[in-house]
Amino acid sequence: MSETKPTCKEVMLHICDNLGEELNSAKCISIRAHMENCNSCNRYFNSVETTIEFYKKYNVELPEKAHNRLIDMLGLKD
Amino acid sequence: MEEEKLIELAQGGDRKALGELVKRYEQTVYNFSFKICRNKEKAENTMQETFLSMVKSLSQFSGQSKLSTWLYRVVSNHCLMLARSQSKYDYASFEDDNVSIDEKEIADWKVSPDIITENNELKDALDSAIKKLPAEYRVVFLLRDVEELSTEETAKIVDLSVAATKSRLHRARSFLRNELNKVFVHE
Repeated sequence: MSETKPTCKEVMLHICDNLGEELNSAKCISIRAHMENCNSCNRYFNSVETTIEFYKKYNVELPEKAHNRLIDMLGLKD
Repeated sequence: MEEEKLIELAQGGDRKALGELVKRYEQTVYNFSFKICRNKEKAENTMQETFLSMVKSLSQFSGQSKLSTWLYRVVSNHCLMLARSQSKYDYASFEDDNVSIDEKEIADWKVSPDIITENNELKDALDSAIKKLPAEYRVVFLLRDVEELSTEETAKIVDLSVAATKSRLHRARSFLRNELNKVFVHE
């Protein structure tokens, strides 16, 4: 799914894929119809996406000292 | 230089090529280790164990999977082993399907994921929520959703069927979402 604004098709593919459903399956079509009019589902889906984005953006840099210790330990110092 | 060539040279004993491979992946391995362990000391230890394992086993690496996938597998296995040895930790139980959705609790969060970079309180909340997830669920969530591996690749790394991987992913996502919901809605 694209990182900025996903299209409706991408959203549905994402949901249906996780349900093990094809995009044109009866279940997926009924989910799509429901999603179009359900604020709760849209809010829930957005909050799950936000949860994932939080964990994606929470990164740590490898400290230089840890890099040096790794290189030393592996005997790869120039 | 292309990765395949570097691996070939490293397999032939070229230390410079091996060093280059380590440099290419050390940040990814450290970051992923931290995301599972949520502890910088443990992340460094896991990173060291992972590259030691890579150095020892590189001659057997056939190139059928990507080196990154292979490294993710080593990190995941190491962390799962650590977690099993520390099984006293108070993980959430999914036996009673406690990840169900309460429709009254579906509020609009009105937050942007970009606030994470400078918000230590939020980082603590994220750490606290994911630490409650059993390691088997945490690894699936991180590989599939955070590192963006395919469901099939994730399933192979954790030795599960695709269906079982999807089930764990769904439960992990719902659990984390519900934990953070408490932070955003009830604070």
